[in-house]
Amino acid sequence: MTTIDAPRSPRMTRTTRRTTRGNVEMVGWLFMRISGVVLVVLIFGHLFVNLVAGEGITGINFGFVAGKWADLRWQIWDLLMLWLAMIHGANGVRTIINDYAEKDSTRLVLKVLLLTAFVTTVVLGTLVIFTFDPCPAGSPADLLPSFCTA
Amino acid sequence: MQIHQYDVVIVGAGGAGMRAALESSSRVRTAVISKLYPTRSHTGAAQGGMCAALANVEEDNWEWHTFDTVKGGDYLVDQDAAEIMAKEAIQAVIDLEHMGLPFNRTPEGKIDQRRFGGHTAEHGKAPVRRACYAADRTGHMILQTLYQQCVARDVEFFNEFYVLDVLLDTDLRDGTVADGEEVAVSGVVAYDLATGETHVFQAKSVVFATGGAGRIFKTTSNAHTLTGDGMALALRAGLPLEDMEFFQFHPTGLAGLGILLSEAARGEGAILRNSEGERFMERYAPTIKDLAPRDMVARAMANEVREGRGCGPHKDYVLLDLTHLEPAHIDAKLPDITEFARTYLGVEPYTEPVPVYPTAHYAMGGIPTDIDARALRNNTDVVHGLFAAGETACVSVHGANRLGTNSLLDINVFGKRAGIAAAAYAATAEFVPLPESPADAVVEQLEAIRSRASGERVAELRAALQQTMDANAQVFRTNESLTQALADVKALQARYADVHVQDKSRQFNLDLLEAVELGFLLDLAEVVVTGALAREESRGGHFREDFPSRDDEKFMRHTMAYRHGDTVTLDYKPVVVTRYEPMERKY
Amino acid sequence: MTATLSEPAAVGEVPTFDVTLRIRRFTPETHGDEAYWQEFTIQAHGTDRLLDALHKAKWDVDGSLSFRRSCAHGVCGSDAMRINGRNRLACKTLLKDLDPEKPITVEPIKGLPVIKDLIVDMEPFFASYREIMPFLVSESQKPTKERLQSAEQRERFDDTTKCILCAACTSSCPVFWTDGQYFGPAAIVNAHRFIFDSRDDAGAQRLEILNDKEGVWRCRTIFNCTEACPRGIEVTKAIQEVKRAMVTRAY
Repeated sequence: MTTIDAPRSPRMTRTTRRTTRGNVEMVGWLFMRISGVVLVVLIFGHLFVNLVAGEGITGINFGFVAGKWADLRWQIWDLLMLWLAMIHGANGVRTIINDYAEKDSTRLVLKVLLLTAFVTTVVLGTLVIFTFDPCPAGSPADLLPSFCTA
Repeated sequence: MQIHQYDVVIVGAGGAGMRAALESSSRVRTAVISKLYPTRSHTGAAQGGMCAALANVEEDNWEWHTFDTVKGGDYLVDQDAAEIMAKEAIQAVIDLEHMGLPFNRTPEGKIDQRRFGGHTAEHGKAPVRRACYAADRTGHMILQTLYQQCVARDVEFFNEFYVLDVLLDTDLRDGTVADGEEVAVSGVVAYDLATGETHVFQAKSVVFATGGAGRIFKTTSNAHTLTGDGMALALRAGLPLEDMEFFQFHPTGLAGLGILLSEAARGEGAILRNSEGERFMERYAPTIKDLAPRDMVARAMANEVREGRGCGPHKDYVLLDLTHLEPAHIDAKLPDITEFARTYLGVEPYTEPVPVYPTAHYAMGGIPTDIDARALRNNTDVVHGLFAAGETACVSVHGANRLGTNSLLDINVFGKRAGIAAAAYAATAEFVPLPESPADAVVEQLEAIRSRASGERVAELRAALQQTMDANAQVFRTNESLTQALADVKALQARYADVHVQDKSRQFNLDLLEAVELGFLLDLAEVVVTGALAREESRGGHFREDFPSRDDEKFMRHTMAYRHGDTVTLDYKPVVVTRYEPMERKY
Repeated sequence: MTATLSEPAAVGEVPTFDVTLRIRRFTPETHGDEAYWQEFTIQAHGTDRLLDALHKAKWDVDGSLSFRRSCAHGVCGSDAMRINGRNRLACKTLLKDLDPEKPITVEPIKGLPVIKDLIVDMEPFFASYREIMPFLVSESQKPTKERLQSAEQRERFDDTTKCILCAACTSSCPVFWTDGQYFGPAAIVNAHRFIFDSRDDAGAQRLEILNDKEGVWRCRTIFNCTEACPRGIEVTKAIQEVKRAMVTRAY
C-alpha cells in the first residue's frame, strides 16, 4: 500500500491574493514565443553553415571558427544566438522553479544559482565573441585562417 | 449556538431564492441560507425555456399565455395570479437579458423563441413560439446569471447551512388559533453542515425558496437533495400545504433512470412512438399532438405501455424519435439532452430513438401564498413576515398541471415579488423576539437520531417509501392504490421514529442530513396521498381511474392540508376565477 | 419509419457484476489526521454510474462515507472527484467504462483542502471565481427591451457559458497544485465568458486582473483542464484566447 500525504494542505490559507499585475509576465510569455521562433532560424542556420555547407563537418577547425568571427555579421549572429538562448532557457527554468519549488527559500536559492549561471555564461560568451584573437602569436600557420600573415 | 440578525433571511439559493435576494439585498440587510452551494441548485437542471409573450418571432400576447396557463392547469389555477405571471413574464425575460443571460437570438438579434407544450395562439388554435431559451440549458443559464448578479452585489450567503426550523411567535401546531389572529415570524434555526453547529437567524422577513420534493418518488428527474424541506417545515409549524396531490410527471424521462429530456425536444420536432412505430399522440391530442400538456402526454404514454404497445424487453417504455431531425439542428438546439442519452443509455439520438418514460418532475402544490408571495396560515390570513416562492410555494399559478417553462417563469416573477415584499415588510416591521432557547427543538431532534445506537436504516425506509409511491400514487391512481400507499407511509412513519445513523461525527454528517430529509419526505408523502384519496375526480396531474372525469361541482377548489398532532386534516379553498369559466380540456 | 426504429440494446437485460471501490478516506473525528484507504465491494448493474456505487457503499455498508452530490446527471457540479487518477463527475462516469475487473480508485480532487472523505473546501476555488468579476457590466443605458446581439456574437462565447463550477479543471491543473495561488482554469473560463460577450464593457478590467503574476501567464498549456471538463468545454483554448486578447490589447 502506498503512503499518502496528510490531506490538509497548510499553504491553502489565502484569503486575498497579492496583486502583482503588470506586463512583466506577458512580456516574458511573448518573449519566449518570439525568441523561440528566432532561435529556430539562428540555430538551424548555425548548424547548416557549420555541419553541411562547404566541406561539411570535416571543415571545422580553429581556422574555420576564427574565420567566421572575423566577420561582423557572424559575430552578431552568434551573439544573438547566445543571448536569446540564454534568456529563453533561464526564463524557462525560472517558471519551472516557480511551478515546482514549494518553499520561498528554495525558490530563492535556486533562482540565485540560476542567475549566477546565466550571468557567467553570457558575460564569458560575449567576451569571447568580441575579444577573440584569430591569429594567436606562435601558432602553426596551417591551423590558422588564411588571412593571418604574421 | 450562534445568533445572527438580518432584516430578511432567504432560505434556498435556487432561482427563486436568488431572484428574491437580488431585490431584497439592495433594499435591506439580507442573508441567503442554502444547504447547497447556490450553483448546485436544481434550477440549473431546467432545460427547455421560459415563456413570455414577447412576440419576437410570431404574433402573441400575454392574455393568450394566461389562458394557456389556466387551461393547462385544468382550471384549478388562480386566474388573478396567472394573469400577473403572464403579464410580468415579459419584464422578467428582459430583466434576465439585462443581467447578461445569453439567450439564443433571432437573425435580427432579438431573443429567439420556440414552441412548447400547451402554449398556443388564439386560445388553443395552434402551437405558438413563446419559449425564450438558451440552447437546452436555459435553467443553467438562469441559475448562473442570478448567481453572477449576487456576486456583483455582494449578497451574503451561508452555504451548506441546513434550515431545520421556522420560528413563529404563536404556536400553530394544534390548530386552535382562531382565524384573524395576528401571527408573525421571528426567524429560522439552521444547522451548519461543515461544523455541526446550530445557528439561529433572527429576521423580520423569512422567504422560503427551497424547491420541490420529487424524492418522494423513486423515478424522478429531481436532485437527491430535493426533499421538500421548506414545505415540510411549514407543515410541521402548523401551516397548511395547498394542492399537494397534484404532482407533475414529465413525459420524457430517460427510461429506467428518470433523467429529464426536455420538452424542447418535441418543441423542435421530436415525435413519440410506440412499439408499432405509431405516432400515438395523434389519437390523444389531434390538434397539437406531441405538444399537448405534460399530464396528458404522460398519461398517454403510460396507457400505451399498459395496453401492450411499450418497447423493449419488458415493453415498459416508449420511444422519443429525433432521427428525422438534422444532426446540426440537434447540436445547435438540444446538445445536452442528446448527450444524456449517449452517456446514460448508450443511445445515439441522431440515428436511434431514445427510450423514455414519465418521471416525477414537479410539485404543483406547496405553501399557499397570495400574489405578493406572503404565506397563508389558512384560507385568508397571512403569517406576517413569512414568504414563499418557487416550487415550494403554491400561488397558485400552476393549478392541477404546470405548463412547460412556467416554472422558470414562476421563480423569476414570484421570486422577484417575494424579494420586494419581504424587504418592504422588513423596512417597516420590528424584530419579533426569539423564543427562549430557540434551537433546543432542533438540537434535540438531531441528537435523538445521532445518539440512537441501533434501529431502522434510512436507505431502507426511503427505498420503501419511493417504491410504494411509484407503485400506488403515480400517473394512475385508484382508491385502492392510494389506500395502500397511505398505509405504507403510515407504517414507515412509525418505523422512522426508530431511525438511526452510522455516522456519529459532527463535520459534514450527511448521514444525519439524509435521516432528517427522510422525515420530511414521509410527512409530505402522507399529505400527497391523503389529498389524492379525498379528491375523487381526475384533473390535471391527478388521475383517478375510479373517477376518470373532472368534477367541477365538488372539486373545483384547492385542497388545504394541515397536520395537527399526528393526523393530516383537509380543508378546501375556492379557486379565483376572473375571466375564464371552466371548459372541457381538449387539445 | 417503422423499419428504422431499431430497439437500443443498452436498455435490455443488464448484467450484474461485483465492483471494488478503493476510496481515500479522511475522517479526522474518528481516525485521526491521516488519510487512509478503504475498500468496498458492492454489486452493480451494467447501467450504474460510479455515484450509484458510492451510494450503495454509503447506504448499505458505511453511512459515514461522505461525498457531495445533488442532481446526479452532470449539471450541478457537486460530485467532481479523482477517479482512477482522472478528475471526473461521479454521476457521469459509468462503471462499465472503468474496467470493473480492477478496483476503482476514488480520491478527493487535488489542490483544495480536504475536510472529510471526498469533501474538499471549495472556498478558495470560489474566491478566485469572484475575483474575475464574473458578471455582466454594461455602461450603456439599458434599453426598455432586450439588447440586440447577433447569433454570431452569441456563438463567440457559447462554449464557456457551459461551466458548472465543479472545479474538475482547476483541481486537475499541476500549476494550481503547487501553491493554489494560480487563478485556475475555471476562473479564466468564466472571465472568457464575459470578455467575449459583445454586451459587456468590463473586458479590459478583467484582462487587467488576469494579467497578474498568478493569472493566465501561468498556464503551461498542459491540457489537463480540457481533458477533465465534464461539460466538454475547450478550456485550454479559452485560456489561449484570453492570452491573445491581452497581447492584442497591449500592442
